[in-house]
Amino acid sequence: MFGSLKAGDKGKIIDISHVGHLVQRRLLDLGITEGSEVCVKCVMPFGGPIMIESCGQCVGIRRKEAVQIEVERI
Amino acid sequence: MEIALIGNPNTGKTSLFNNLTGSYEYVGNWSGVTVEKKVGVFKNNIGHLIDLPGVYTLNPLSKDEGVVTSFFLNESVDRLLNILDASQLERNLHLTLQLLEFEKPALIGLNMIDVANKRGIHIDASKLSGVLGVPVVPVVARSGKGCDKLVDVIATKSIQPTKKNLVYYGKDVEEAITALIAEIIGKTDHSARFLAIQYFEGNEYVQEYVNSIADSEKLKTISANLEIKLQEIYNSKSLANFIYLKRKEVIESIVADVARKSNSDIPLSEKIDSIVTNRILGMPIFLLLMYFMFMLTFDWLGTPLSDALDALLTGPVTVGFEKVLTAINASEFIHALIINGLVAGVGGVLVFVPQIFILFFFISLLEDSGYMARVALVMDRIMESVGLNGKAFIPMMIGFGCNVPGIMAARTIETSRERLLTILLTPLMSCSARLPVYALFVGAFFAGNKAFVVLSLYVLGIVVALILAKIFSSTILKSETSLFVIELPPYRLPQFQSLWRSTWDKGKGFVRKAGTFIFAGSVFIWLLSYAGPNGLNVDMDHSYLAAIGNAIAPIFAPIGFSTWQASASLITGFLAKEAIISTMNIIYFVPNDASLQGLLADYYTPLAAYSFMVFILLYIPCLATVATIYKETASKKWTAFSMIYAFAIAYVLSLIIYQGGRLFGLV
Repeated sequence: MFGSLKAGDKGKIIDISHVGHLVQRRLLDLGITEGSEVCVKCVMPFGGPIMIESCGQCVGIRRKEAVQIEVERI
Repeated sequence: MEIALIGNPNTGKTSLFNNLTGSYEYVGNWSGVTVEKKVGVFKNNIGHLIDLPGVYTLNPLSKDEGVVTSFFLNESVDRLLNILDASQLERNLHLTLQLLEFEKPALIGLNMIDVANKRGIHIDASKLSGVLGVPVVPVVARSGKGCDKLVDVIATKSIQPTKKNLVYYGKDVEEAITALIAEIIGKTDHSARFLAIQYFEGNEYVQEYVNSIADSEKLKTISANLEIKLQEIYNSKSLANFIYLKRKEVIESIVADVARKSNSDIPLSEKIDSIVTNRILGMPIFLLLMYFMFMLTFDWLGTPLSDALDALLTGPVTVGFEKVLTAINASEFIHALIINGLVAGVGGVLVFVPQIFILFFFISLLEDSGYMARVALVMDRIMESVGLNGKAFIPMMIGFGCNVPGIMAARTIETSRERLLTILLTPLMSCSARLPVYALFVGAFFAGNKAFVVLSLYVLGIVVALILAKIFSSTILKSETSLFVIELPPYRLPQFQSLWRSTWDKGKGFVRKAGTFIFAGSVFIWLLSYAGPNGLNVDMDHSYLAAIGNAIAPIFAPIGFSTWQASASLITGFLAKEAIISTMNIIYFVPNDASLQGLLADYYTPLAAYSFMVFILLYIPCLATVATIYKETASKKWTAFSMIYAFAIAYVLSLIIYQGGRLFGLV
């Protein structure tokens, strides 16, 4: 789970289907989908968004969506 | 020749547009700077260049993305100029493949090669050109490198329609494509294959278009059958996903072919990010930057410059006008019109040009550097708690410059509810036109802590907006869906030239308004103050303007300013907020600011002055803003609502401040 990753951890997305349709589409547009390798860059305080990096680009997503993405630690 | 410029968000389309056409469009380093199409003429006159909002795909999610799709469906274009971000080639090629399916002559500008090289990515442009079957020209859009070559290629080469069918979608999809093409062939000028694929991808704009020319039931059956088939044979999640994966396969093989990777250093961006989006420091850094911006605008740099300009206008310029008027033997009427009306009214507004330019410079700096998207990220938690998302903060920041582009920038917000909410609340952001009013009043009443008092007004605007967002989103604009995915572009060192351009671009509107709107308004206000029921050149207290002001003045008595002068200036403030200043300058007979500040002390107490500033901050958005709200919401109801709620909240808050302050013994 994304929730267990901390800043600096790397992981591979294995299931993104539980995330809302719109967020899923937007992440897909940015090239982030199942199989993508992501790295958590930073985690905002008070349950704020997290910043992830994939293929050299940084994307911010909300915590509640991030925890719905299943990630395998690598 | 019509050439459409199209590409992913934040790939430098507008920079390239400016370089190719010699115009100065609005450029920023955040996704969604361009929200509607803009047309320019090529420097060498070979045709029109159309700048479109950035999109990741032709299947739109937000309104600004819809602009691109409907452009493709409804307008004719001769050539497509696709700009690619070389450092993000894989993502960018998804759009390119869709564009090539559109089967119009196309060419590619390969931008940000410098960024890609720094990241260790090297792309062979001629190889890419070979694979895609269209010309590929490497450019650096920000500096203009390679643009001449690009223009040459556009102008001279007869770009052949592209090699067909770069992507083979598999037997089942291809069969369905053929079946759908059979339904629409001959009924449209567009590529039938393109329409078929977009239809299967679930592109609503295309579906609507295709349904209007063919039997929608038949099309639906083809699509539904295909989806079931794919699910059975390949266990695919959805038709759209299947198409995406097929494209991805092709892209991966292309990229493997043309790109070479080497080791690179950690980009500077990440180092900066570890500080500005730090979990603890992020917010304090943002507030500190804001404080610094206001100190520079109001205390350290802006005020001395404005004072100097004021001295110039009230001294040599007024004397010059007087001399000329005496020399040409102007009548007393003309003399009064020019000195008491125009010089006072227009000059009173022009004095604030330095401060406004400094503010615009900082907003441009925030936009150009890439910090804006980080602010959205840092602010998202707060915005989410009031039913908005972090992206709504960008329109609000832009609104500090001018509410009109701020409201336009709300188009990048994907969900319509959050977009409407942002549009309604952006006018509460204190725009630069309100700034002269504050500058005048803080100079007169709060000289000791100018920047602090002005900052308090800006913060008040934000706080009121957040509280109202919470109220609106839990009452009249209730909905669960919210979307926040934001691209954080790499930082770039702002270039002085482009910074100056965008500062000038924003600031010139203010200067132009002073020359037109404020000019005409000043003449009109002066005439109203010069004429009265008893004839011309009356005592101002018996003028028409006083009569109008007196009629509504009692409304404002409970909030501290019952003079007809205040009421009259509030009316003109609806036309443009800075008109409040020109009106006051005319009413109080003083052609210069310094003595107006002295005079104001006779009419306002400091408490009433603060109440007045709060009222100016919040009351009815200016005419241009109201027109934009109407244009963007296409709803008379919401436009009226935006005016009424603003007035009500302004009145209530001023009442609390004035009456509450008096209870605590403030004056």
